[in-house]
Amino acid sequence: MLGAATFHAAMAEVVVGSMVLATLCAVGCAIATIFPNIAGGRLSSERIMVTMDKASIAGALLGLVFMPIAALSGSFAADNVVNNALLYNKFVYTGLAFGFWASFIIGRVRLGPGVWQHRSLSALQGATAVMALLMTTMASSIGGKLVRGESLFDIMPVWLPSDSATVLNPILSAVLLLVGIAALVVVFRLGPKAERISLD
Amino acid sequence: MRSRVAVLAVIALLLATGASVANPGGEGDADRDYTCGGSCHGDPALSSPSDGTVTVTADPLAFSGTATAVHVTASGMSLSGNRLLGVFLLGSANGNDDHPEDHGWSILQDPNGGTRNYIEIVVPPSGSVTLTWVMLAPEQTGIQTLLVEIHHGSSPNSNNWAFSALTRGYVVDVQPMPENLPSFAFDWAPETRVTGVDSPTVIRTRNTTSVSVQWMLEGEWVPHDAEVTGEGDEWHAMLPATIGDTRIQYQVTTSNGDFSIVQPWLTVATEPAPFDGEIWGARMQALAFAFLVMAFLLSLQARLSPWEGRPELDHTEEVEEVETPPEPPGLEPADDYWSRLVASEENPGWLWDPVDEEWVADPDNPPEGGE
Repeated sequence: MLGAATFHAAMAEVVVGSMVLATLCAVGCAIATIFPNIAGGRLSSERIMVTMDKASIAGALLGLVFMPIAALSGSFAADNVVNNALLYNKFVYTGLAFGFWASFIIGRVRLGPGVWQHRSLSALQGATAVMALLMTTMASSIGGKLVRGESLFDIMPVWLPSDSATVLNPILSAVLLLVGIAALVVVFRLGPKAERISLD
Repeated sequence: MRSRVAVLAVIALLLATGASVANPGGEGDADRDYTCGGSCHGDPALSSPSDGTVTVTADPLAFSGTATAVHVTASGMSLSGNRLLGVFLLGSANGNDDHPEDHGWSILQDPNGGTRNYIEIVVPPSGSVTLTWVMLAPEQTGIQTLLVEIHHGSSPNSNNWAFSALTRGYVVDVQPMPENLPSFAFDWAPETRVTGVDSPTVIRTRNTTSVSVQWMLEGEWVPHDAEVTGEGDEWHAMLPATIGDTRIQYQVTTSNGDFSIVQPWLTVATEPAPFDGEIWGARMQALAFAFLVMAFLLSLQARLSPWEGRPELDHTEEVEEVETPPEPPGLEPADDYWSRLVASEENPGWLWDPVDEEWVADPDNPPEGGE
């Protein structure tokens, strides 16, 4: 019988690995759009751009599909008990990572591959991917802290807080959840309809 | 050429994983046998003698069931980057049943405030650390042996060895307890208090008619007297609350009419306040943050992208028209200009400008030939 902790480690590796690929390609696309002459224009060539765009969306989709599985298996590995700030922050950073990755994918799907021809949108997509990867690595590094007592982020001069948690009252969390859902409804139903950007 | 570089990079990455070590962050305080019960640290191919020096100081004579302190000083080790040192207090070095409790001892307090025989500690930059176990001597009298083992990493440590050292056995002669000797109750252990709480510390004793307690902060030299209440075999000492990283030490003196015994220094063991988060709160907070981030970023995407209805809602022209400043003097509207022109029957298609004294083509009746 495979333990929840082992299964969680495998799922987390799939999530982090595919999302590193997605981020590298998204940042590559953003750089190629903002600085079209970089690397002699090779980075912004159509063939490379199409490859990076497809790799980024595929990596992000794969990671996003596996993220709930990793989160649930991690929850079972911890016996569904949150008894310290590190574990609590792991949940919070996972939620933030999910929000950033979902935004990245929805943006790319709604606006199409032409999103990389638009400088400001391209920069936004690249920044979203970087933030998403930061949140994902924070969540996974906390796992390393919990299991091995150390993580790769220990050698970084600065990293996001994880030893202390801001625990919101569940009622306030529920209110925020409703506000978030309402905001999404407003964005999708009442807000301006984003059009698929046609390729030149 | 490129494929070779790629292959070499992949090989380098794969080899780099072998440079990692088993548990460089330690495994935490625990009850352990010698070399963790014959684990990989006991394998001569994976370990090496430590270059450190370990000294053990203990009273060679102890009375059965009374508290005695064992001081361990470790110094001169070549440590790993995190300066972590693991220290075992053992009753034997067989690889099994080595815990002092297997030999009748009872650990009252370990150096970290718990009751473990293996503790991990970060060695200060001085390179020397002194640790104290307070134990109750075995009920069974006779010669007892105590050993200490240390293990640590090293930097650099190209062979990924564990460095360990085992002391010789230190002999403690356990004598029968004199009748009516005041001491701690055999089943008493110091309580662990929550940080910031100043509830009285309960001390249980035997053969005791009075108790006095002195306390001081770690590093202080002059102890303070604590207020003690109680009677019989249960006493309550008022010790200040522990806040932050401060450690409070206290020393109990148990007395009766015949004896007055100064017990070893103990540490007020503290633990952080219980974490007040729970799993459904964490899940809800995570989902709330996810939705809020999505709503913000999606609205930002919509704002930056071309979207339906933008021309209808784009009032830039109207705003510019309203906000356009008046023409400066001399550039009046064209109506004044055309009204001053005089038509001429002699020159059809032309208008006479009396101000500039020139002929101007009539836009309503252009001159023949399109001139």
